[in-house]
Amino acid sequence: MAKINQLLDTGRRALSNSQTGIATVAHNIANKSTEGYSRQRVELVANQPVGEGQLRIGTGAKASQVTRTNNPWLEKQIQKEDTLTGFQDSRSQSLARVEQIYNEQQNKGLNQYMTDFFNGFRELSNNPESLASRTMVKESASALTKDFGRVNEQLRGVQNDLDGQIQVSVGEINQAAKEIASLNEKILGVEVQGNVANDERDRRDLMIKKLGEKVDITWAEGKDGMVSITAGNTAILVSGMSSNELIAKTTGERDRTEVFFKNSENGTLFQITNNFTGGKLGGCLEVRDKTIEEFVAKNDELAYNLAKEVNSLHIEGYDRYGKKGVLFFEQPESVKGASQKIKVNNTVLNDVGRIAAGEKAFAPGDNTVSNMISSLQHRATMRDGSATFDDFYSTQVGEVGALAQRAQKAFEAQKNIKEQMSNIRESISGVSLDEETTKMIEMQKSYEASARVIKVADEMFDTILSLKRM
Amino acid sequence: MRIADKMQYNQVTSNIQKNREGMSELQNQAATQKRVTKPSDDPLASTRVLSARTEERGNNQFVKNINQAKSFLEFSDQSLNELSDILVRAKELAVGQSSDGASNEESRRITALEVEQIHSQALQVGNRKLGERFIFGGFQTQKSPFDSNGEYLGDDGEMRVQTEKEGFLAMNVPGSKVFLGKNLGNDGVIRDRSASPRTVEDLNLLRSDRERIEQEKALKDEDYVQTRGPSSFGRANRLASEDPSTQDLGINVFQTLKGLEIALRTNDKAGIQDSLDYLDQSINQVIHARAELGARVSTLNANVDSLQKATVDQKILASQLEDADLFQLVSDINKSDSALKATLETSGKIVQSSLLDFLR
Repeated sequence: MAKINQLLDTGRRALSNSQTGIATVAHNIANKSTEGYSRQRVELVANQPVGEGQLRIGTGAKASQVTRTNNPWLEKQIQKEDTLTGFQDSRSQSLARVEQIYNEQQNKGLNQYMTDFFNGFRELSNNPESLASRTMVKESASALTKDFGRVNEQLRGVQNDLDGQIQVSVGEINQAAKEIASLNEKILGVEVQGNVANDERDRRDLMIKKLGEKVDITWAEGKDGMVSITAGNTAILVSGMSSNELIAKTTGERDRTEVFFKNSENGTLFQITNNFTGGKLGGCLEVRDKTIEEFVAKNDELAYNLAKEVNSLHIEGYDRYGKKGVLFFEQPESVKGASQKIKVNNTVLNDVGRIAAGEKAFAPGDNTVSNMISSLQHRATMRDGSATFDDFYSTQVGEVGALAQRAQKAFEAQKNIKEQMSNIRESISGVSLDEETTKMIEMQKSYEASARVIKVADEMFDTILSLKRM
Repeated sequence: MRIADKMQYNQVTSNIQKNREGMSELQNQAATQKRVTKPSDDPLASTRVLSARTEERGNNQFVKNINQAKSFLEFSDQSLNELSDILVRAKELAVGQSSDGASNEESRRITALEVEQIHSQALQVGNRKLGERFIFGGFQTQKSPFDSNGEYLGDDGEMRVQTEKEGFLAMNVPGSKVFLGKNLGNDGVIRDRSASPRTVEDLNLLRSDRERIEQEKALKDEDYVQTRGPSSFGRANRLASEDPSTQDLGINVFQTLKGLEIALRTNDKAGIQDSLDYLDQSINQVIHARAELGARVSTLNANVDSLQKATVDQKILASQLEDADLFQLVSDINKSDSALKATLETSGKIVQSSLLDFLR
């Protein structure tokens, strides 16, 4: 026969279980919008029953532990997708900026300045004696050289901006690594006592994902529940309770921000800029060091060859004073940096009479050389005679357009994948208010019922105790 | 599938975001009337638009060149028209004085005065200017091509202007051709690459050719024997002098007139009769040059027509590539708009309802 005392005890424990349940519901509801939160559940198990002869009488339930509903493999998958998303995001953003430099849909660009330049020489052919048409040649040439400079400068500008973004990313990476290391410590502290560090683990999962967005990482959880993280396959960012920092600084080598790693306080610095291939950092580095460098080189090639071809014709001619033609552009010594250095020769700038339009000396109406220069526009002089200047340039425009378009599409696709994955995650771990409300009602009801059990037990005591008086 | 609250909110925000993005894109197209506003909208189209625009701007310049050349050619033509009138008058006079029936020494001397006048008129035509440029001086546009004796001070230069991508056309007739009869076979439309050089090699070829021709000509001039005309007056009519490059026969208009004048003054009947032939040839030479000018003008007119057509074609091409299709756009906007409204409406319903509403 069950004892009334035990009834009271079961009731009391049930009350406290319901309270724990409602507290967990409250925690879930409160964290409904917390990023990375996994809903928690109280695990109830039936108590050891008491045996009395043939009967085994139940003694209620106890709350064994609070667990989180979470799929660790899915979390790992999401982290990987985040790294890809971070990469595509920063890549498509910076390519969109590069694209604007070559956008001539609304503004005047290099293509138009080149046409104007050659049309300037055509105008000179119409009237080689006139100072006005000579001045026009000078003006259109200066505008052309300035635009070569503009393209170069704007490309460099995007690179400088990416330097800044790399600095910021490295700061964020270090911050995240530090937090993950301290979460490692907390988790170890909690779990060594046999409990599960639900909220700390949620937070750590989130921080790993955030870190993964910035840079490509590999990570694993040890038996002690602590994770170690390696970035870019070389830099050990987190190991147990300690974290190491990446260092971003500008070096004189090419005047760009490089990323360094020091594996201990007094260790040597390793330059590991080229090791990062993913995340925001990887995207920034790819555009900065590969894509933009290629476009700068092509712009240089165009400027150099244009100057070379025009010069080679111009020096064959004779100017207004019957003097042999000078170099029209100051010839840049090397292809590298040509777009920045290209400039109309000062002799020509100071006196447009020095523009050599004719091939004969003292022939003011002679426009042969001017015709030769203007027909350069339609001659395939670039890349061993495979392309005209116009072709070469518009190929670049097409290329940057295609790159930006593909990057944008890849980013959108990646964003969709990420969205779907996080939907699946929410489906598993997310808090549903309806569910929590139901749970709350359920707990409330069992709280009420347990209280009633206690009341009944109390009445039972009263009944027993009042037997004497009757 | 278990639906969590956050899932719904995320979905609602991302759906609304997507719809808004689409709307903003379409709105941008409607505002700019362009389908392609940056290269990545359609990389291929944007490069083709670029080359269409380059083409169009080039064509516009060619049309400008042609108009300039036309005014030069037409002015030259007018001047030559005057010259041929003058020469016809000279021939009339020469015919009148060629026989003894209607003329005598006295009338010839008087006619000589008029021929002298005609000579100076012809000189005036030779030194005609358009704007600041002498039109018959070849490249020597800044000084009078003919001195008072009819000696040519200009050169054979032909001022070529680009009239299409691969075509150049001379806008002047050098005085040496009309008045001295040099290079008659050259019609001014440039076909030979070396005649209109593009590269330094072409140019060097042209220069060495010219040197060779000049040397040959100098040799010819040395060997040239004066066959007719007063010995007092330098080199006379050069009917038999061939141009070494073209093998064409040419005639010196001024010397023809001068020869006639001297023949009239010296009462040299045979000389007057001779000069009739020369005058005929002079007139032919001028008519020949005029025909050439006319041919060039009509070439240019045809060129302008095709350029203008090409410009329109390029415009249409660019428009097809980059302009938004308005009807399509408006219907797309309507579609997006109704999608957005539906999203907003359903979102409102999803987000509002909760079990809590029913627990009172």
